[in-house]
Amino acid sequence: MQEHAATTETTEAPKKEGGFPPFDTTTFPTQFFWLVVTFAFLFTVMWRLAGPKINAAITNRRGTINGAIAEASKARAEAEAAQAGYETALAGARSRGNALAEETRQKLNTEIAKAKAEADSKAADAMAAAEARIAQTRETAKGHVKTAARDAAIAIVERLTGDKVSAEDATAALGN
Amino acid sequence: MALNPMEQFTIKPLIAEPLFAIAGHPIYFTNQALLMIIVVVASSLFLTLAVKPGRLVPTRGQSMAEISYEFVANMIHTATGEDGLKFFPFVFTLFMFVLCSNFFGMIPGSFTVTSQIAVTLALACLVMLIVIITGFAKHGLRFFMLFVPKAPIYILPLLVVIELISFCSRPISLSVRLFANMLAGHTLLAVFAGFVVSLGAAGGLLAPLSVAPLLLIVGILLLEFLVAFLQAYVFAILTCIYLNEALHLHDHH
Repeated sequence: MQEHAATTETTEAPKKEGGFPPFDTTTFPTQFFWLVVTFAFLFTVMWRLAGPKINAAITNRRGTINGAIAEASKARAEAEAAQAGYETALAGARSRGNALAEETRQKLNTEIAKAKAEADSKAADAMAAAEARIAQTRETAKGHVKTAARDAAIAIVERLTGDKVSAEDATAALGN
Repeated sequence: MALNPMEQFTIKPLIAEPLFAIAGHPIYFTNQALLMIIVVVASSLFLTLAVKPGRLVPTRGQSMAEISYEFVANMIHTATGEDGLKFFPFVFTLFMFVLCSNFFGMIPGSFTVTSQIAVTLALACLVMLIVIITGFAKHGLRFFMLFVPKAPIYILPLLVVIELISFCSRPISLSVRLFANMLAGHTLLAVFAGFVVSLGAAGGLLAPLSVAPLLLIVGILLLEFLVAFLQAYVFAILTCIYLNEALHLHDHH
């Protein structure tokens, strides 16, 4: 192994002091140089390019998602408002309908009552008229009975006595 | 065939000649440099190309990018609160760099960037530097109150010393944790792979026994994927915790 290391030592440019490569200080300047160059390069890229770009991507997405959520909740609120409006309209229509029905019923009731009263009064009138007619007929009939009684009395007196009694006398004689 | 399990951590120049020199130190284009470039280019491309801001429903790729973004953002938010979010680009870079380095290191034949103490220590020192700068920028000299917990006066000197030691050992613990985890896992895999090869090569009755280390490798490999993620997470969350202390001292925990 020593021989192996010795042969490589002569062929390789940085001289090695011991067997442990990481502690070979002759490589340190080269290592530091490349570390500074590459680290500075990566830092610049991260700082100026990659960092802002990734940050923009994440922020954009967050913004889009939050915007979509806000829009969705707005639409939901609108839908709820529309639902509420619909329900109030429905309730209004229903109460108006009820009121109308009630009014109609009331009107009909009064009309019915009126018609009934009219019919009642008509019937009462008709009855009164009928009763009057009956009374008149009865009176007429009574009159007819009187005339008949007078005529009969005249006829009887004539047959019995042979005297002709006037109608007025007969009536007076019969009394009432 | 002698396999050296440490071989995989050797930094080899891919171009023999140094590219240039900084203060007398030659800078090579190495296997580690290649992997670092692959890591940052792959994660940059993934995190930018997979994402389109206008997309309401993310694709699988965008979803992954967003999940890693929100994962780190939540981590910072829970550990440091609202005012820690200005460190997001830094913590996100740190997390993605360590995570992708760990995962790219899992590809057989590639190189694990975070298995180098130089890299992890540099990252840990960067974290502590930012913590210290933040602390002094926010609180001025009151930042030293970080080392003075609420305690009876007679016990305070001891606690201050302990707090100081704990603060100073943070870059070491932070870097060694990541480095040692990656190093140990990959070494273990290489060692067991060596067993498979040598048992197989021994032939005869020993050859069928090589199945045992192979099965172990499968188990350890799964564990290593977990460790790769976990260590990146631990590195990032500890960074957040240290930043939180710099921002809020001991005010609220």
